[in-house]
Amino acid sequence: MLKDSEAMQQLVAIVKLQDQWIKHRASALYIDPLLLELKIQLISKEELAESLAKSWHPIAQIDQLTPKGLEKAFVYWRELVPFSERFKDQFGNYGQQTGMIGLEELESLSIFTKEEFESRLNAISKELVERSNGKEIDYRDFINGKDPEETALRGYLIAFVVTEGRATIRTDPLTEQIFISVMQGKPGDETKSVAIAVR
Amino acid sequence: MSDSTNPPGAANPSTEAAAERASLDRKTRRAFQVLILQRGRNPGVKGWEMRRYLGKDYKKILEVLSDDLKPLGLEVHLVPGPEQTDDSTRFLLRFRDPPTLTEAETAGFRIDDLAVLAATIALVNSKQGRISRKELESFLKGKFPRWRIDYSVDRYIKRGYLDQDDKDLIRIGWRTRAEIDERSLMTLILAQGTQSKTTGGKQ
Repeated sequence: MLKDSEAMQQLVAIVKLQDQWIKHRASALYIDPLLLELKIQLISKEELAESLAKSWHPIAQIDQLTPKGLEKAFVYWRELVPFSERFKDQFGNYGQQTGMIGLEELESLSIFTKEEFESRLNAISKELVERSNGKEIDYRDFINGKDPEETALRGYLIAFVVTEGRATIRTDPLTEQIFISVMQGKPGDETKSVAIAVR
Repeated sequence: MSDSTNPPGAANPSTEAAAERASLDRKTRRAFQVLILQRGRNPGVKGWEMRRYLGKDYKKILEVLSDDLKPLGLEVHLVPGPEQTDDSTRFLLRFRDPPTLTEAETAGFRIDDLAVLAATIALVNSKQGRISRKELESFLKGKFPRWRIDYSVDRYIKRGYLDQDDKDLIRIGWRTRAEIDERSLMTLILAQGTQSKTTGGKQ
């Protein structure tokens, strides 16, 4: 009995599909797929586009603000938590902007003492004079330390040497290679600051 | 004298007709406002909403509105809903006459995009209303670059011209049913080559 009803159900499904097929074949939309594929391949893109444009009736509608929409927007804006506070619960102060760290701050964090900073500045300046020997040398090679921390520290110190006018930096516009050399004589009037990523 | 023919409290027929006319005008205006402003994500207003806004005679009012809009080149068009009931039918305003190809281009559709849509609609219709995305892409590859096919098909799915189910079968979307005269499209595609050949022969 169960088998019979299953067979009957399958038969009904077949008859339904046949019905759909016959209806489609009889409808005005039916065109032999092979004929249509051939036709589409033969005609140009412009002709295809033109056929569509000629049978196209675009919808006319205005998408504009209504008093209800305005009220909704106002309520949303009023209840919107400022961006800086929005993810505080999940990420703490993750969204805080990066800033600049000054010498005073480094001193207060006990990273440097004033004396130590001065002596390190003189040491790196002396090293630059010795290594460059009056010529330009590669900036990245020069600041490169044994680990990323030391590289960052050397980059930080050399920035002070350049700011004090004891050295100068030049970037090759084609290769983007950065060179550093000891400043000969007095620094010129034309000075500018550059940002260099330390890797 | 007139007081004797029309007893007090009885409505004057001309006043009644004027009131009816005013009510019809008001309802027609309301129907236009309801149809022209977008409510929700998809354009158009469903039958049950129309009945709520305009009353049970909403179909007659929409017919009057469609006639009134004729001079402006617009019409009220109905798209049958999935349940084929009055309530699920979607009513919308659309252009009575198709735009020119140049006008279509100014609406942000490139010729290539329009051609992809035309070929897709025609192909889907010839394949009993559905085609696998893979088969469609492999067919269109002969005429359009691969990146253009992906871009256009995805864009038309997003805009409702095409529909893709979880089995990656592409079907005709509700927007095509609303905006495109599919029968005319099929006829025009089939006539394209022969038209130019006939014209060429005559010349």
